[in-house]
Amino acid sequence: MTTAIIKCPDRYIDTTIDDEIVLLALDSADFFSLTGTSISIWQLIDGSRTRAEITSAVAAEYGVAASEIESEVAEFIDQLVEGGFARNA
Amino acid sequence: MIRESAIDVMRREMQVVRRETAPDRQDCAVEKGSYSIDRENFFLHADCGLKISYRKGSGVSIQYGENTTALDERLFIDGTTYAAVASINGFFPVHASAVAVEDRVFAFTAESGAGKSTLVAELARQGLPMFCDDSLVLDLRDEDCILALPGNKQLKLWPDALALTGAAPQGLVWEGEDKRYAEPSGEMDRRTLPLAELCFLEEGEPAAIEPVIGANRLRLFQDMDYVTDIYMGASELDGHEQFRLMARLARDLKITRFIRPRDASRFRADAEIMVRHIFSYGKTGS
Repeated sequence: MTTAIIKCPDRYIDTTIDDEIVLLALDSADFFSLTGTSISIWQLIDGSRTRAEITSAVAAEYGVAASEIESEVAEFIDQLVEGGFARNA
Repeated sequence: MIRESAIDVMRREMQVVRRETAPDRQDCAVEKGSYSIDRENFFLHADCGLKISYRKGSGVSIQYGENTTALDERLFIDGTTYAAVASINGFFPVHASAVAVEDRVFAFTAESGAGKSTLVAELARQGLPMFCDDSLVLDLRDEDCILALPGNKQLKLWPDALALTGAAPQGLVWEGEDKRYAEPSGEMDRRTLPLAELCFLEEGEPAAIEPVIGANRLRLFQDMDYVTDIYMGASELDGHEQFRLMARLARDLKITRFIRPRDASRFRADAEIMVRHIFSYGKTGS
């Protein structure tokens, strides 16, 4: 978990509609909607932060302990990786 | 440089010439009941034998088949051909009927038979000028404003809808069916105007108008029917460009759902909900 996470901008295009970020997977033409905490996580993925650092930043933003959200953040990042939107740097 | 207005482009490109000989392009290979379209050309071969050919900058030409009637010509010229010519010239056709209020257009889209025409006919009866029936062409050339072109088709209604809305029946749309061309009991607005709202008609209870937000807007656009296919065929957009286009429409338009039962006894009362909604536009922030 010390590896940074980086976005894969060649695999998707994105747009913001209302308060949602919508990602279109170029391979499948499926799109995914990010809201609330998932937007925070998405915006923290910058190629330099590790999963642990992203979790800490989200915990600080929402005023909760990192241990409380660790599994949810990890699950969401796994989904992004599986969807081709992000990968280990 | 002054840009030609969208309505002038459509008037110029929709000039129709009837001819006796078949089109001599490879488009003639299109099977009955289908069409082909690309960036420059459109060809339609209807089941009745009617052939319609369009090349950008050269107008529309038609050739009757043995079973073609003037009613067929009108339907196919005003319908699929108009949408195709609009698409080839960069305009975006939507399967929608609309009214215009206070210099803005309010459009209703749904599958065929869902009540678009009946609703705008009733809104016209209640004093909201009708803008178009069945097909709405959008001019997206201005990044800051989505303009709607006034309708090219006459209102078409079934007998029950004529009775409900007080529209004046005219000629038959199709031999052997009771659907008729009609004049709405209210006014028509024939100006090009900004599109304020696109409303998706749905059947359900209780009658209500709900905003559609976020990615759900995109999902509704993805489900839009054949006129979108015509535009995509003409524009030859790749998946990336299609997403950008749909995202722009989803971002820039107010999008709602009008949920109501298909119940003639409640039809007028439910239409009044829409009247109040339209007149509240920009006043409530809804």
